[in-house]
Amino acid sequence: MILDKLIFTLRKSNFWFFITKLCLFFLLVFILDFSIGNTLRYFYFKQESGLQYQATYAIEKTKEDLLIFGSSRACNHYMPTIFEEKLGLSSYNVGRYGSPVLYHLAVLKGVLKRYTPKIIILDLNLQEFEKIDDSYDVLSSLLPYYKTHPEMRSIILMRGKYERLKLLSNIYPFNSELLTIAIGNTEINKRRHDDVKGFIALRDNWKFPIKNYSFPQNYALDSKKINAYKTFINACKKQKIKLLIVCSPYLSKNRFKDSSIEIGKQIAKKENISFLDYSNYIPLINPNLYHDNPHLNVEGARMFSNLVADEVLKDR
Amino acid sequence: MLFNSFHFLFFFLIVTSLYFTISHKWRWILLLASSCYFYMAFVPIYILILGITIVIDYFAGICIENAKGKQRKVFLIVSLIANISVLCIFKYFNFLNDNFSFLMHGFGLSNPIPYLSILLPIGLSFHTFQAMSYTIEVYRGNQKAEKHFGVYSLYVMFYPQLVAGPIERPQNLLHQFREKHNFEYFRIVEGLKLILWGFFKKLVVADRLALYVNAVYNNAEHHSGFSFFVATVFFAFQIYCDFSAYSDIAIGVAKVMGFHLMTNFNRPYFARNVAEFWKRWHISLSTWFKDYLYISLGGNKVSIPKWYFNLFLVFFISGLWHGANWTYIIWGALNGFYLIFANISSPAREKFNAFIGLNNIPVLSRCVQIIVTFMLICFAWIFFRANNVDDAFIIIKKISTLNGPLFIENPSKMIYCLVSIGLLFIIEYKREYYKGNVSFFNSKNWIIRNISYASLVIIILLFGVFDGGQFIYFQF
Repeated sequence: MILDKLIFTLRKSNFWFFITKLCLFFLLVFILDFSIGNTLRYFYFKQESGLQYQATYAIEKTKEDLLIFGSSRACNHYMPTIFEEKLGLSSYNVGRYGSPVLYHLAVLKGVLKRYTPKIIILDLNLQEFEKIDDSYDVLSSLLPYYKTHPEMRSIILMRGKYERLKLLSNIYPFNSELLTIAIGNTEINKRRHDDVKGFIALRDNWKFPIKNYSFPQNYALDSKKINAYKTFINACKKQKIKLLIVCSPYLSKNRFKDSSIEIGKQIAKKENISFLDYSNYIPLINPNLYHDNPHLNVEGARMFSNLVADEVLKDR
Repeated sequence: MLFNSFHFLFFFLIVTSLYFTISHKWRWILLLASSCYFYMAFVPIYILILGITIVIDYFAGICIENAKGKQRKVFLIVSLIANISVLCIFKYFNFLNDNFSFLMHGFGLSNPIPYLSILLPIGLSFHTFQAMSYTIEVYRGNQKAEKHFGVYSLYVMFYPQLVAGPIERPQNLLHQFREKHNFEYFRIVEGLKLILWGFFKKLVVADRLALYVNAVYNNAEHHSGFSFFVATVFFAFQIYCDFSAYSDIAIGVAKVMGFHLMTNFNRPYFARNVAEFWKRWHISLSTWFKDYLYISLGGNKVSIPKWYFNLFLVFFISGLWHGANWTYIIWGALNGFYLIFANISSPAREKFNAFIGLNNIPVLSRCVQIIVTFMLICFAWIFFRANNVDDAFIIIKKISTLNGPLFIENPSKMIYCLVSIGLLFIIEYKREYYKGNVSFFNSKNWIIRNISYASLVIIILLFGVFDGGQFIYFQF
């Protein structure tokens, strides 16, 4: 009776009737968003294998002495088992496909909050500091950690001006991840072994002639990425972590100089950090060691990991 | 300012709240000022170009109305030349110059005309056509010249449809600026529902499919025929959802404030022939060309060869309207060719259908017609989407063999693409064939209706692409 009267009064005023209904609608959306978002969160962190699990492991669970940071080239080029054998230090590859230096810095912040590794290897790509909008989209893989990792927030918020607003939603951090989370929680996924301590092996050989590796020469530089690189170095120095920056090899006929690598070298030199540039390393230019132009196969990765491990040994 | 941005969301909330707060007599100022702001959010300086054409067309309208005899035509021609000149300079100059250079190069000469280093003003073709429809209608006596400069400016600049249509006619829109629109619950809710559908189409379907389409089409050399076939079908849905989403949001935004804009899309992929497709696709542009070009050329009330020429010319110009590139021109010409061929082959096709007995099974006949029309339209889309004509032919060659593996970067993303098309198909199919039946979205039960729309919001949050770009038709 009272409800009917209230509805009747509200109906008489178009505006208040609209506002009431709108509030009820938003309440409904909020309830759905809260319950679905938190369910997704639960299952996201319950995964025990796959890329998302690797990210969670890197940020929240690593306790290894040696960590390897970088993009797909880090994942495919550095075998932690070889570093363990040669250096006698527990190792893990925290690289992630397609990730820029901003991502590595965020992961490093997550790691340093918990413990201090002894050695860190950062793999740098050609064009690492190029200004590309996509680099910020890729940071979406960090969205699930926004709530629980305040140290990573400033980097996550670089995705866009309205990111803070979007993150009011509980579902948004898991946008487009429903299927991956579902598969990540199945038994089939647990039986898959894509990685060995974060290293992902590429098994086939490059079957085509070696070409000139083409990449733009004069590209715009992203100061945020350069700053992230500097911050990465400084954070390691501050914690007295031995940092080694490496540009791993490319399969290419041409010898090249890349602005990002040159800047990377200059900054490293200034900060007194070792920089190993294998981008033009002739002994490794062999199609049998590559999966494609920028990626070594498992044989190449073995050789390269030995090479880098020897360099670390020399430096100790 | 993009519709799919928070910037627009805040802008819309502020403008709409103010619109219903202030007195009716000041509303045109609010709408005009907000439309200027909306346009200037892209490239501020280009508002001057818009301003110049507005001034010319405003006075041309008054002069046409006041003049008599041949003078009327002179003023109309002045207005049309002014509008078309702006289009030619900003949109076609470099294209024409490029082709001229190519010709000169063929004769071993160099082109002395320099290239213009200019950006195409956003939505130039849309507001130019809307402005042209005003002077033509005043000339034809179907519309009185607008004496209020502010109201006329608003007709050209009304922000919901300023940069990507629907291209309105003065008879439909101008008088609405003088009408008082009250805060009406049902109209506002209908408008908001349309906006929500628009966001669903843009974020969940169009931008999701764009990820695959761009990955394949931007690397014509490296992908297989099968991948191109899938990418072309995806593009057909992408461009439909992208453009119709813009129209839905524009119509919805206008509706919230009490304005009625014309329908721009009517489930085009259920068309049974190409002629019907063009009655359902970008209706405001198709009818513009029909009303102001096709009929002016004599339409179908001329000899058959002239009629075919008229059809071909209209579609050729329609292609050119879309962009200064041979890909768009071929796309337009191809659609013109489809219509001519459909007319020529109509008796033979009828006989063939009767011979194989297809006419006896109406459902099958309808399905075949829809699928054939869809494939023809998809074929034309190859030219529309390809980065250049060479790429288009490489793609056609590859599709003709359907060889090679299907490019799947990420299986879950492919599943999202297929599910989004599936969802769209179910919704459109129901609307096309089962209009009066039970619907969650139109349920009489308030809770079911609201849960349905809330679920739509959740689907957008779960599967929408929030890093997607601008609407495809902005570039025109």
